[in-house]
This record gives sequence, structure tokens and C-alpha cells, in this order.
Amino acid sequence: MLPKVLEKSKFAAFATALAGEYQVVGPQLKEQSKAGGETFVFGPVTDGAALRMDYNITLLSPKKYFLPMRETLLKYTTVGHPKAEAVMDTRQRVIVGAHPCDIYATWLLDKVFSTDHKDPNYLSRRERALIIGLDCAKPCDETSFCHDMGTNYVESGFDLMMTDIGEAYFVEIATEAGQALLAKAETREAHNEDFAKRQAFMERKQGGFHKRIPVDTKYLPEILEESYDSLVWEAIGRRCFSCGSCNLVCPTCYCFDITDKLNLDLTSGTRERTVDSCQLDNFASVAGGESFREQRSSRLRHRFFRKAKYIQEAFGRKGCVGCGRCDRNCVAKINSVETYTQIAGSR
Amino acid sequence: MSAKPKLAFFSFASCEGCQLQVINCEDELVALLGAVEIVNFREAIDERRDDYDIAFVEGSITRPEDEHEVKEIRERAKILVAFGACATIGGINAIKNFQPQEKVSQYVYGDQAATFPSYPARPVHDLVKVDLKLHGCPISKSEFLEACKCLLAGKQFTVPNYPVCVTCKLAENVCLYQKGMTCLGVVTRAGCDPMCPTFGNKCIGCRGLIDHPNVNAAFDVLEDLGLTLEEVTKDFTMFDGCHKEITEKK
Ligand code: SF4
Ligand code: SF4
Ligand code: SF4
Ligand code: SF4
Ligand code: SF4
Repeated sequence: MLPKVLEKSKFAAFATALAGEYQVVGPQLKEQSKAGGETFVFGPVTDGAALRMDYNITLLSPKKYFLPMRETLLKYTTVGHPKAEAVMDTRQRVIVGAHPCDIYATWLLDKVFSTDHKDPNYLSRRERALIIGLDCAKPCDETSFCHDMGTNYVESGFDLMMTDIGEAYFVEIATEAGQALLAKAETREAHNEDFAKRQAFMERKQGGFHKRIPVDTKYLPEILEESYDSLVWEAIGRRCFSCGSCNLVCPTCYCFDITDKLNLDLTSGTRERTVDSCQLDNFASVAGGESFREQRSSRLRHRFFRKAKYIQEAFGRKGCVGCGRCDRNCVAKINSVETYTQIAGSR
Repeated sequence: MSAKPKLAFFSFASCEGCQLQVINCEDELVALLGAVEIVNFREAIDERRDDYDIAFVEGSITRPEDEHEVKEIRERAKILVAFGACATIGGINAIKNFQPQEKVSQYVYGDQAATFPSYPARPVHDLVKVDLKLHGCPISKSEFLEACKCLLAGKQFTVPNYPVCVTCKLAENVCLYQKGMTCLGVVTRAGCDPMCPTFGNKCIGCRGLIDHPNVNAAFDVLEDLGLTLEEVTKDFTMFDGCHKEITEKK
């Protein structure tokens, strides 16, 4: 399908029109610091003017619309014939402004939640969601290492992809559903100058990203393999709080915990799912009180092995998209680029 | 247990703010009262009976006569719940543990000090077996209700053993460290639906430390940010002055 051009001045009206039919979620300002720094989150809008398409990165990724931080899976009652009723989120949703790394992460989660056991709650949300991507010309900030992970370009995983060409967005149409969405916008055909501007954007983009990990990341699985007993794990383990923040903000982490919550009548209740973290003290505890990953160092090693080795082996792509959310949120300043660099250097 | 389990609330050295939280449960309280009988609750009712099944013990132990009383409660109760920071970790009361005891007594009771003997504050589990700890200063209403439901249904109630950061992330808060502030949430037990960070205030550790806190790392991070050892210790001893890892730093 041929691309279209959407003037920026008409973008808000487009998003507002979508909000009449879908739940539209996109980047918004969460907080402004006294020093002027801004923090963004994905959130629902009814007025497209609230979207901040100039955002750099959000606290949580759009993953929260597929695997919410907390959700109710079912409602049950134990009176008479015990009954359970599944709770499904069937809202039609449009995710606006997802960056390539977050789109890449969604691809991975789709694999995870549809391989072997198909997760109905995840899939119900995912199948009803449309993604309007937004390409980025430079890294979000100095923490990002998406270029090392090869996730700053995506070929698929979106319905529409917008590129900033100055006064307008160059909109690639990837699916028919995307085309139907775009019909709600006042667009025009893309002309030669628009294609040229898009090309100029891509060239700027190529110059805008730099590798930060000294070794080619395709070797990380083997490098990690060799590092199993490295003292680096011990050293960063001493600084780690096991607070779980790194996992909880990660767009590719998918562990969760399930608990039953009683209502006050004590005969009915809900089954709740909450995202979990492999860095927490009790994560690997099993009945009887044993924990098979008691040391902070082994928990940390496990996280890095998941991100750059195990997932790659299981699904054929890296488990880390280099968004840097884990690093930005680590109070102990444990840093992925630094860790991979040290590990590669300590062999 | 008889048809309706009997609940009792007791207070030692405390401000009784935790009992007040129970009364604050308002809507849920009506439903709860349908399922239990409250036989001793100074904050709310005049009646006093000793045939309770579940005892909620608020406050820390700071006087010789408290010891006898708390042991008696333990003997009578099938389940004893330490209720609030004063009871679970010593809480605010333990601030006095780091000062000369005579000075403290004198400050509070003046020339009557000798009539009111008291000693450094102790959490309830120092004296008797505690079946469940409901942390916080004050306790969290929702945690209290969850615990009650579990106790009544004979289900295990699990007190969180993860730090406040977890719930902070669930709430999608901006971490205070990113705003140039400090916060004890990295080592403090969650369960408060991170009241303080959500409203832009640092966690001051009222729910006490998690089971295996990386206290050394916390001291390092805070000192890196320019706090003195004394300032860091002061933050930690605001509520958790009875904790071995903290007193060792002192
Ligand atoms: S965020 Fe940092 S301190 Fe917390 S668990 Fe992860 S690596 Fe450890
Ligand atoms: S491990 Fe860190 S950098 Fe990689 S995807 Fe997760 S949050 Fe992003
Ligand atoms: S824990 Fe706090 S609110 Fe509860 S009794 Fe003690 S001082 Fe009062
Ligand atoms: S504000 Fe405090 S509780 Fe929240 S993530 Fe940061 S350190 Fe943890
Ligand atoms: S954030 Fe910290 S100080 Fe505040 S209520 Fe929770 S545990 Fe207590």
C-alpha cells in the first residue's frame, strides 16, 4: 500500500476521531521536574491534543496494555455449586506512538504468550489492539542501547508507522486495519519531496545511533555462557537491592504471580494476576521454603542470561531491546552496557 | 472456634493510631462486624471480655508490667497479631533506645520519673510468639481487611517480602532518586500501596526492612548522594531502631 502524508496540524484531530471508536492510548506528560526534565507515560486520551509525540521514552512500555501490571483473571463463588467466570478485556484499543524498540518487544511477547500454553487474557487484548508506530531519529537518551540490540529499526509488528518529516508525518501503511484507521485522518498522497524527506530522515537516523557495547551482541550468548562463574556477578550482586524495578519496567519481562482474593462475604472472590520479578527474594521460593536462587549475584546473572542468551535460544531473537528502562530505574546504578562490557572483558 | 470468631484489640506503648485505622474502615467494617464479634476494643466499645480467639496487639513493650500482660494475651489468644509498627518493629518508640534512659524518663515524667519505670522499646515478638505481623505506621486498612478475611477463612495471609519499589513500579511512579531525592523504599517492606512516593515524599521505612535487605548497599547509595553516616542512620532508626542490621551500624 502506498504511503500517505498526514500534516502535523491534523494529527490531533485524527487521534480524537479514533478515540470516538477505540480506546486510544499514547504518550503523555506524567511529571515535569523543577529543572525542566519531563517524564512520560502511556495513557488513554479522548482529546488527541494531549498526546506528546515528541516524547523520548515512557516509564512503562505499552506492554501494560497486553499484560497489565495487575488484572483480574476470574471471579468465583463457592456457595452451592462453585462457579468461576472468566474476566476478559475485550476493548478495541489503538496504541499511538510506539517506538521501534517497544514494537520489537511486542513481537517477542506475542511469541511467548502464544507458544505452548496460549494465554487467553494476553491474546484477547493483543488481538484487539492496533499499533501506530512512531520512528525515532536518535536514541531516547544516553542510557539507550537499542542500536547494539538491533531494535531501532522494525520491519513489521505495526499497522501504521509514522516518520517525522518536518511539518508532517510520512505514514507507511502495513495492514488493512491500519489503512482503515488512516481513513479517519485527513491525509494526502506522498509526493516525491515527501519520499526525499523520509530518505533524509533515514540518513539522519543512521548517523544518530552509535554502538555502545564493544563486542558484536550476536556473540553475547556465548560470552555469557563462558561468564557463568565470573566474579563480575559477585561484584554487581553486592550492590543490588533485589528490588525488582529492572524487571517490572522491562518491556520484555513476562513473569507473573497469581493470587486469590476473597470478598468480605468469604464465599466469593477474584483471581488476580500481578507482574513479578526474578530479582525478588521470594521469586524462586518453592513449597517447603527452599529457594533455588538465593544469592543476589545468581539472580542478577539469571536476568542477564534471560535477556541476552536464553530468550535468544528459545525464540531466535534477543530478549532485550536496549530501551534502557532497567538501567534508568536502578537505584544501585547497575547498568546493562557496563555489565555486558565487563563480562566480555573479563574472559 | 465458635460460630463467630471473637476479636480483641490491645494497646501498649503507642498512639492508638492503628486502632483508629480499623474504625476508619467504615463501609467494610459493617460487613466485617457481621462475621466476627469484637469483645475488647477500647477505642470503640466499652465492653471487655477475655474469651477472644484473635488478639490484635498494638504498641511496643516498654514497661515491666507490659510483659506480664502481653504473655497473658498470648495464652488466651489462639492467634496473636502484632498490629502496627510499634508492635512489629518497635516503631517510633524505639527512637528513645538510642538515648540515655534516665534522660528520656525525666523528659517525659519530670520528677515523677521513678514512679513510671520504663526501658528501651521492644517489638512484641521479642516477648511472645507472634502469628502474624501487620506492619506500618499506621497499619494499612486494605492489608488489615485482607488479613481478616484470610484469618476468618482459615487461609494463609502472606505479608509481602518485597520492597516498596515493587508497588511503586506497579503505580508507574517516577522514582524519587530520579528527581534527586532519597528514599528508603529499596529496602522497606511493601504493603502500603506506596503512599509516600506516590505523593512525592520519600519512604521513611515505617513498615520495617524486608527479610534480606541490602543495608550496606543502601548506606553506600545514600552516602554517595552526599548524606553522612549519621544522617543515613537517623533515617533508618526513625522506625526500625530495634533491627539488628541497623543497630550494628549505629
Ligand atoms: S533495579 Fe537494580 S538494584 Fe533493583 S533488582 Fe534490578 S539490578 Fe538490582
Ligand atoms: S533488559 Fe533493560 S534495556 Fe533490555 S529490554 Fe529490558 S528494560 Fe529494556
Ligand atoms: S504504629 Fe504508628 S499509628 Fe500505630 S500505634 Fe504505633 S505510632 Fe501509632
Ligand atoms: S521512589 Fe522509592 S520506593 Fe519508589 S522506586 Fe524509587 S526508591 Fe523505590
Ligand atoms: S512508603 Fe514507606 S514510610 Fe510511607 S507508608 Fe509506605 S512503608 Fe511507610
